[in-house]
Amino acid sequence: MLGPAPGVFAWGLVTGIAMVKSGLSVPHALGLSLVAYAGSAQLAALPLILAGAPLWLITVTALVVNLRFVVYSALLRDYFRGLGLWRRIGLGYLIGDITLVQFLNRMKRQDPPMHHSVAYYLGSAACNWLAWQSSSILGILTAGSIPQRWGLELAGTLALIALVVPLCAQLPALAGVVVAGVVAILAHDLPLKLGMLAGVVAGISVAMWVESRRSARMPGAGAAP
Amino acid sequence: MSDWYVWGAIAGIVLATILTRASLLVVGLHARLPPAIEAALRYAPACALTAVIVPDLLYQGGELRLAFDNYRLLAGLAGIAIFAAFRNTMGTIVGGMIIFWLLALS
Repeated sequence: MLGPAPGVFAWGLVTGIAMVKSGLSVPHALGLSLVAYAGSAQLAALPLILAGAPLWLITVTALVVNLRFVVYSALLRDYFRGLGLWRRIGLGYLIGDITLVQFLNRMKRQDPPMHHSVAYYLGSAACNWLAWQSSSILGILTAGSIPQRWGLELAGTLALIALVVPLCAQLPALAGVVVAGVVAILAHDLPLKLGMLAGVVAGISVAMWVESRRSARMPGAGAAP
Repeated sequence: MSDWYVWGAIAGIVLATILTRASLLVVGLHARLPPAIEAALRYAPACALTAVIVPDLLYQGGELRLAFDNYRLLAGLAGIAIFAAFRNTMGTIVGGMIIFWLLALS
């Protein structure tokens, strides 16, 4: 369960440093890290916060970046269906990329059989949460002593790049991402940072269009999970 | 950037996090998502992150800098190449920063 902890630790450290180096105050960065607990959404929201984008747009951006969690929650439904509402919300709040993969792998393997699925999930989530928060807080508190000219806020952007590149292995996603980037630049001068939203909508539309063309040409290809 | 504005932004991010993570554990415990929605969900995060990353690398002080002296852009491109070659997150972050520092020093 502790296997991925060093990677999580490094990510948290980078996020903590990048938040403060981009211009967030220490209390703001601590609040964001401790309550939101959402690495990529935190980093994605940073440029928007610093540009003074409207709050609804920041919320929508965080929603869109977090949409993968909707898929995750769908995958966890079967295991947590019998629990009460608040426990389901609590377990959902702890969903992370690593915890999901660890949990689903263990549940599929069933060797030896695992009867304590909630406990296993909580153990994985706790390791992840501790590694993330401790490193993030360390990054936030030490960022002040790092010179601004080192440009360490770039580390946060590089972390996001490492998240996006593996998502672009298939043509539809690659086409969508290229269009999202180009439109975000072309529409950059729209008021309220709406160019970013224009890029997202254009990118998703193109990705879906490319996917539908491919599945039309290759019957069955679109049905792959 | 006033204090309450940033706290408002943090509240928005927290709301977005709870809504998405708990989403199908709260509503639609038995529902099946329509294929079009599922496809959009699949592509949305990559598109959103890109729409944030690209302007972040290309704009400096509010101006478009599509040039070889934009070291952040060059370091970002190097990061893409590093990840494509080695599939390693830490290598991407450290390698990109080293490229940035080498360029900025030269």
